[in-house]
Amino acid sequence: MDKAVSQPVRTPLTTYRVIQISLGVIFSVYLVWRLYQVFIANPVYGPDTWMRFSFAGLILGSVYALIAIGYTLVYGILFMINFAHGDIMMLGAFGGYFVFEAFGAIKVGSAADPQLSLLNAHPVFSIIVAFLVGMIISAVSGYFLERIAYRPLRRAPRLVPLISAIGASIFLENAAQLLFGAQRRDFANPEILARGNGWPIQVGQGTVILTYTGVFTLVLSIIIMIILYMLVQRTKLGRAMRAVAENKQVAALMGVDVDRVISLTFIISGVLAGAAGVMWGIHLGLVYYFVGFIPGIKAFTAAVLGGIGNIPGAMVGGMFLGIVEALGPAILGISFQLKDVIAFVILVLILIFRPTGILGEVLSEDKV
Amino acid sequence: MINEHLRNGLRAGAIFAIATIFLILIAFNVTAAQLLGKLLGNQSASSIFDLTPDMFNMLVFFGLVGFWAGGLGAKRTASDTWKLVFLAGVSTGLVFGALVAVFAYLVGMLNVAGIQMTAYLPLMLPASINQLLMGKSPAAGSLILLVVIFATGVLGALTARGFGRGAWRQSFSTWWGQRKGTLSQIPTVQRVQGNALTRYFFYGILLLLVFLLPLWIGQYWNYTLGTVGIYVLLGLGLNIVVGLAGLLDLGYVAFFAIGAYTVALLTAPTPHNLLWNFWIVLPIGIVLAATAGVLLGIPVLRMRGDYLAIVTLGFGEIIRILSKSDLLTNFSGGPKGVPNVGGPSLFGISFNDIGFVYLIMVAVLLIIFVTNRLQDSRVGRAWVAMREDETVAQAMGINTLRHKLLAFGIGAAFAGLGGAIFASRNQFTGPEDFNLMVSINVLCVVIVGGMGSIPGVIAGAFALKGLPEVLRELENYRVMFFGALLVVMMVLRPEGLIPSKRRRLEMREIAEEEGAEEVVKQARVGPPATASPPLNPGNIANISTSDEGGS
Repeated sequence: MDKAVSQPVRTPLTTYRVIQISLGVIFSVYLVWRLYQVFIANPVYGPDTWMRFSFAGLILGSVYALIAIGYTLVYGILFMINFAHGDIMMLGAFGGYFVFEAFGAIKVGSAADPQLSLLNAHPVFSIIVAFLVGMIISAVSGYFLERIAYRPLRRAPRLVPLISAIGASIFLENAAQLLFGAQRRDFANPEILARGNGWPIQVGQGTVILTYTGVFTLVLSIIIMIILYMLVQRTKLGRAMRAVAENKQVAALMGVDVDRVISLTFIISGVLAGAAGVMWGIHLGLVYYFVGFIPGIKAFTAAVLGGIGNIPGAMVGGMFLGIVEALGPAILGISFQLKDVIAFVILVLILIFRPTGILGEVLSEDKV
Repeated sequence: MINEHLRNGLRAGAIFAIATIFLILIAFNVTAAQLLGKLLGNQSASSIFDLTPDMFNMLVFFGLVGFWAGGLGAKRTASDTWKLVFLAGVSTGLVFGALVAVFAYLVGMLNVAGIQMTAYLPLMLPASINQLLMGKSPAAGSLILLVVIFATGVLGALTARGFGRGAWRQSFSTWWGQRKGTLSQIPTVQRVQGNALTRYFFYGILLLLVFLLPLWIGQYWNYTLGTVGIYVLLGLGLNIVVGLAGLLDLGYVAFFAIGAYTVALLTAPTPHNLLWNFWIVLPIGIVLAATAGVLLGIPVLRMRGDYLAIVTLGFGEIIRILSKSDLLTNFSGGPKGVPNVGGPSLFGISFNDIGFVYLIMVAVLLIIFVTNRLQDSRVGRAWVAMREDETVAQAMGINTLRHKLLAFGIGAAFAGLGGAIFASRNQFTGPEDFNLMVSINVLCVVIVGGMGSIPGVIAGAFALKGLPEVLRELENYRVMFFGALLVVMMVLRPEGLIPSKRRRLEMREIAEEEGAEEVVKQARVGPPATASPPLNPGNIANISTSDEGGS
């Protein structure tokens, strides 16, 4: 369908192409003008502020990247948008939240501090448990989501599983709202990861604080992404996943248990979403039933940005989106209320100008 | 055989137990008890058991669920003996009852120990825990639950054996078929049935009744009827986009918002003080919405279906965020919205609630007429062809982009009309009227009713917007059930409640292909070499259904 764009052959000048080019010119001229305004003509922000924005964007981007990988994995295999993926992340965030709450309530009381809770006495242990619980909850819900809502529809027209996914998303959100209430809850971190604390760095005239939670989130998500990449590239399961993504029938003939691979894909993407959810909670400190919706859509944008079906693409796309979202309002000189709009506008622009994403889509003939 | 029945029963029991525990956690049992109390009104029966009516009704609710679980847990094939079915029922009831009872016991013990759960599970109030245990001690209360669920589970299994799968439905449909047959043999009936005049006569009576209805039912129900009518409008618009043209649009609310804001800004006194006449503004709103639909469509419609869904969703959110932001506060009232939107008036009389219901009805009839004509026109057939196979449609000479744009534009125009009426009826418009849930609700209306079917959309609007008004107790759970309903509909009946003929064929065709493939797959695998029964068609059917059940 979108062949005309990707083929090297010179495409005929259609109306669409004219619109595309003129929009592109207008947009880039505006962008260059704004960049000139912000950095050279009348700089509003100093380098420390830019640094702060970039750091915040990078952290957010790493979480988006983790979620985006889940979209990409599922899309690569089933060619459907797992609409409920953001809500699976929300369930994982709740898992981490409850672990922290429970550990915070258990008093182990030492001589120095009788009120010492398990959370602060063994912070590393609590964080590991929180991540494990979050990942397990998300993985299990991802598995059952596939079994209940997607598997029976594997051969249905494409609209059908998509609607089912939307239904599952609404169900999960509202079930969480009924179960846990609608109020926003504070994520009670252990003291070593207290929000706002961090390493101060001197940049220009100001200081930028590299928060512990931020560095933790960034490093951990990069580690998880490397593990995932190894899993997909180096293990037998990864090979099976790639084979199923390429062609289900042939993979089945080669002895790959397609159903099992699909289930495992959902479990893996659930694990990533669960980790992302707990990180989201630790870094941003809020968890409520709707917490997965906006990150979910943005991560999808990131996945499209990087080229859906392409795992490194999802990582790059996530980071890129996070940074653009953090810097965008400042560069374009618009209110920070509108940062969600930026992500959607990027999505539309990408789909207009380069539907295959930055790194190109890994899709074979029959999937398009 | 024993193993299979046991496993089936255990699985059904476990699934039902988890679902029921979830329902208890969200206090659905309390609500269901209230609802049952309203329906049954069995206040006297409860006094025999020394229970309050609410507790008794809750037990009835658990009994019904247990009965259902037992019925599903018992595997129904011709070779089932009573003993096997009994075994399945016992296992279902035991697992189901035991899990629920253990849960109730734990919750009860926590409650007795004075531990408050409401901080984390806000609906687990001490009062509802007390009701769950019927005011008794945790042990006694959970024992009663166990006994009730176990007994009804076994009963359900035995009932299922007694009637077989779908036996009731089958016997009813044969009975109805015979009745219909004998009825239509009577010459008078034949003559009446074949006569076009009688049909119009019936339609006329129906129409008359519908038009008289608003005069009788009072303000509240008029308001509800109006809401349903607006959803019929929106549903019919989305029906063109999703049902006929097969484009999933999740940002449909944006066009609704454009229609509403146009009317609001041009007729309201506050942001601009234009105070135009409603009848002049109405077409402007419709045209603006349609234009927005086409403009959005130009870049977006070249995308694959799934991208389209997300981009339109993004567009809907952009409209909402923009209308809420400071950027447009001076233009569109910002988060406070636009109050005092002007209403229509005719011959100097401004519309009251009854007038609005009539306005909506006229709009609905008009839209039904337009949709009906469109459906069978060249354009409508082009849409259907595009939906079924875009490449083939293109090869047949259909300009797909133009027809997609047309579908988007017409759908948006209907939404603009709905939005215009909505804003002037509520005399207010604000960003929160246009959140994603509106799009989702309309999508539910279209899908539950049946994509591409006009009576389906009307039925869907009544079922999803009208029924919750009648069952007010379920208000809190409504959206959650919508979500579950979408999944269930897609799995069990993707063509909707009242499907259009073509859509049903499409869906069935795929299902049959799938069934055929199953059979072929089973046949290819073939019977194992060692002792196994010959592969007769009945067996194949059993295997494939059990596979489906397992998924």
